[in-house]
Amino acid sequence: MCSSTDRCIVDTLFCQLVPDMTETKTVIAVSHLQKQVLAAAANKDKETLSILSDINLTIVAGTSVAITGASGSGKSTLLGLLAGLDLPSAGQIALFGQDLTQLSEDQRAALRLGKVGFVFQSFHLLEHLTALENVLLPLELGRNSGDLKQAALAALEQVGLSSRAQQLVTKLSGGEQQRVALARAFVTQPQLLFADEPTGNLDRHTGQEVSALLFRLQRDYQTTLVLVTHDESLAAQCDYWYRLAEGRLQRQEQSA
Amino acid sequence: MSIYWQQWVRRWRLPEMRLLFLALWISALAVAAVGFFTDRVESAMERQASQVLGGDLVVSSARPLPDDYRQLAAQLGANMAEVISFRSMLSYGETTQLVQVKAVSSNYPLVGELQGAKDLTAGGVSLKGQLPASGQVWAEPRLFHSLQAPVNATVVLGNSQFALTTVVTKDPSQGVNFFQLAPQVIIPLADLPATGLLSPASRAEFSLLFTGSDRVIRALKAELETKLTPTERIRSLQEGAQNVQQALQRAGRFLGLAALLSVVLAGAAIVLTSASLVRHETRTVAVLKAFGLARRRILVDYLGNLWLLALIAGVLGAIVGFFLQALLAQWLVQVVAIELPAASWTSAWVSLVTALVMVTGFALPALLRLLDTSPMQILQGSSPTQKTLANLLILSILPAIFVLLWIQARELGLAAWVFFGLLAAIALFWWITKLVLNGLARLSTRPAWQWLALLRQSRRSLLLVVVFAMGLFTLLLLTALRTDLINRWQASVPTDAPNYFLINIQANDQAKLEQFLQQNQLQTNLYPMIRGRLVEINQQPVSPEDYPKAEAKRMLEREFNLSSFAAFPETNTLLAGKWFDAQTQGFSIEQGIGETLGFKLGDSLTFDIAGQRFTEKITSVREVRWDSMQPNFFVIAAPGLLLDKPYTLITSLHIPANKPELIPQMIRQFPSITAIDTSAVLGQVRSLVEQATLAVQGVFTFTLVTGLLVLWSALQAQKPERQRELAILKSLGASSKLLRQRIWLEFALLGGLAGALAGGLTILAANLLGYYMFDLAVSFNPWFMLLGALVGAVLVASAAWLNLRSLLGVAPMVLLKA
Repeated sequence: MCSSTDRCIVDTLFCQLVPDMTETKTVIAVSHLQKQVLAAAANKDKETLSILSDINLTIVAGTSVAITGASGSGKSTLLGLLAGLDLPSAGQIALFGQDLTQLSEDQRAALRLGKVGFVFQSFHLLEHLTALENVLLPLELGRNSGDLKQAALAALEQVGLSSRAQQLVTKLSGGEQQRVALARAFVTQPQLLFADEPTGNLDRHTGQEVSALLFRLQRDYQTTLVLVTHDESLAAQCDYWYRLAEGRLQRQEQSA
Repeated sequence: MSIYWQQWVRRWRLPEMRLLFLALWISALAVAAVGFFTDRVESAMERQASQVLGGDLVVSSARPLPDDYRQLAAQLGANMAEVISFRSMLSYGETTQLVQVKAVSSNYPLVGELQGAKDLTAGGVSLKGQLPASGQVWAEPRLFHSLQAPVNATVVLGNSQFALTTVVTKDPSQGVNFFQLAPQVIIPLADLPATGLLSPASRAEFSLLFTGSDRVIRALKAELETKLTPTERIRSLQEGAQNVQQALQRAGRFLGLAALLSVVLAGAAIVLTSASLVRHETRTVAVLKAFGLARRRILVDYLGNLWLLALIAGVLGAIVGFFLQALLAQWLVQVVAIELPAASWTSAWVSLVTALVMVTGFALPALLRLLDTSPMQILQGSSPTQKTLANLLILSILPAIFVLLWIQARELGLAAWVFFGLLAAIALFWWITKLVLNGLARLSTRPAWQWLALLRQSRRSLLLVVVFAMGLFTLLLLTALRTDLINRWQASVPTDAPNYFLINIQANDQAKLEQFLQQNQLQTNLYPMIRGRLVEINQQPVSPEDYPKAEAKRMLEREFNLSSFAAFPETNTLLAGKWFDAQTQGFSIEQGIGETLGFKLGDSLTFDIAGQRFTEKITSVREVRWDSMQPNFFVIAAPGLLLDKPYTLITSLHIPANKPELIPQMIRQFPSITAIDTSAVLGQVRSLVEQATLAVQGVFTFTLVTGLLVLWSALQAQKPERQRELAILKSLGASSKLLRQRIWLEFALLGGLAGALAGGLTILAANLLGYYMFDLAVSFNPWFMLLGALVGAVLVASAAWLNLRSLLGVAPMVLLKA
């Protein structure tokens, strides 16, 4: 079903690379992934809409991968599938070597616990909690022991918000909220971080600050980063860059 | 019009709009159902009470009543009966007996029916539509006994001879003054002049009894009140027979209170839903304003939509409420076997008005707030300002709540009490909950208390806890009052309540009578009764002419029954001063008589007793429960006093149904004793209690359902936020087991907290209300806090689980579609 020769070559290349990397370093391996959804049509009937068709992708530990594409191209859907938030219609996704399609929702959640962090476009902080309490949340969910408060404060320190730890997040600016989200994402020192348009709701200047912070933390913790964005300058800072168009991935050569 | 309709239909798709509709519908439904039902039970109770009174309205006087009154009643379309009642001697052969003659017009009784028999041994049957024919007299069984006369004996009253044809076992209006000593006889009013017994100087009571629709009775009462002379008095159901009045009042107040609280509960649901509607509509309004639509136009548009919503909710609520009420009444009637009159349509209007007031009062501030937010502010993504909320709360929500309370209570004072009580309760709940939740959140950052971490989000649930607490408070308060009220009512007419009064017991028979009673295992106290006329207050002579009020005049005209004993009467309450001990002298008075005749604690009273004057100071004031079926006294002297004066004794006792021979035996042994059978009155009171209990339980059921529905709306309002939260937790790796545990634990803790608060307030409020409104003894019951916490935890956690269960299936993908 290849519509473009280039894309087929890229996919084939990656498929061949997979065996070398599975041994130690592969974090995510995707083969022949498809996703269709039922969409409400104008005449009230539902019709099947194909969002992703035949995606193949391997992501190696410690690297940063950007996925760009136009609005509605299925970037976020792909991100959700990679994180195990949803299941594909066909194909396989291996996360940390485990086939997600064989796991129940709880088993997928357990796989994420403490190992996967998220940064969302609309921050998705818990509104009635303080900055500190939001950062504490993943630590407490993981039944970690030790001084969790200290760990959370340290994470806030790293994003430069330790002085606002006791503020309710609704009192913080958009940029500050996204920094709290970054602290929440990194506080468990996850192996893998998914970021969905992390600068999408921020002005240019704040967006640059937040993205700089994101890459710094990613490098410091050697975290694998999967970043979905339509901001090409952000994508250009990643080790790998893919474009998603018409349901297929295409490798974009990095200029750097 | 069609554009508005289209908009309405479009807005109807909003979940908040449907929720608002649900809340309005539930309120209207609750108000209608409670209203219809209360209305029916109230009129059943009024019917019962009017039987005792003899009509819906009674005018009586010591002089013949003017013909104006009869004409007025005829003009207004009221039914009327006439009764003239006086004492006279009746003779049978050589025997004479003092009797209470009741001369009645042909349509007596207006309410209820006489029961009787042609034979002393037969039970009474209905005598509906029958009255003594000319030349006949009907009488109570005790007259036949005291005269030892057979049925159809010829007796003489004044100048006339009568045939004693029928034994009257029940006269519905006898409850008015069942303490009357002389047996009652009934003769036709038309036969009265011929007896020559009624001269201008004779002491008689002339009464006109009226029945009719509420409107007619109100009009008649208003007219009559302008014409009454000081010697005439008017009695309606509200100020009717004393022995049923208290029970009726308490039941009415309780029903009013229950309905009030259901309205408040439903109001909480509307507030919650309106707030969430505003959150949802902010963006739309911003866009409309950005496109240049005027504020006024947007307001009219939204308000029109909401009114239509309220109208539909109100009508549907009234209809469903009517059927619900009918079902409940039918079921309860089967259980208790009481006939309920048809409901009036007032409650349907009330439910409609309630829905409109609610949507206006509670949604308007939210709408105004919505309109105040600038389009820029919204497009920048910041949340709408809350600054104006306080003003709007005062300007709109609070008045709306007050109006609703007023509509329900139909009594300004009660509405005000409940309103300010509620405000205080909400403030108290808010403050304590905030304190507790913040404290717990702070504690949860310590390593050992991490399990409390999930309560941190509960700060958002401050409102929820307050609403839960109010709901639980309502339920607990009604439970407390209901239990207390029912217990109290039942205690006031226990199955072994005295059903006989013994009067005229001679002092020298006392020892022997006590022995007789003891032998027959009858326990009772004999109270001395001394008759005296009040002649001086604080050494100043008093006479009936000094008092404008007919009641005061009557009291001074006749002799008081005084007593003297040591033990404080069980059914009385001491209001002021000190009860007698070994040293004290003086009088203990009943509160009401002091108010009527104008004397108080510390004043001195002088009575003329058999020609001798006797003066003492008032040393205590008592409240007397006249429905206690015990001998009660307006004035009691310190023990030992007065016993040198001529006195008889009085007592009340319960004669078991299986020992009817005891009374005749006693009378044979002590011929001077008069025994008065009060079981008919007791039966009336008991049936009234049954009705009141039924009403209370019925209304309680409705309030319980309303409470649960509000709990549900409160949960529903939080649902979108909860859904997002669960999705976030899932994306962070929380398992569904953990999420389940969180829901149960969080809501059990919140419910427990709300319940404990509610329980605490219940203890306070039940005691206050019991004391001030329902005339119940104060009893502190600490179990309510535990009960509240337990009920709250189980109820709230279960409801939350049922409501939020479906959210556990939420795909965390929703987070990526923001």
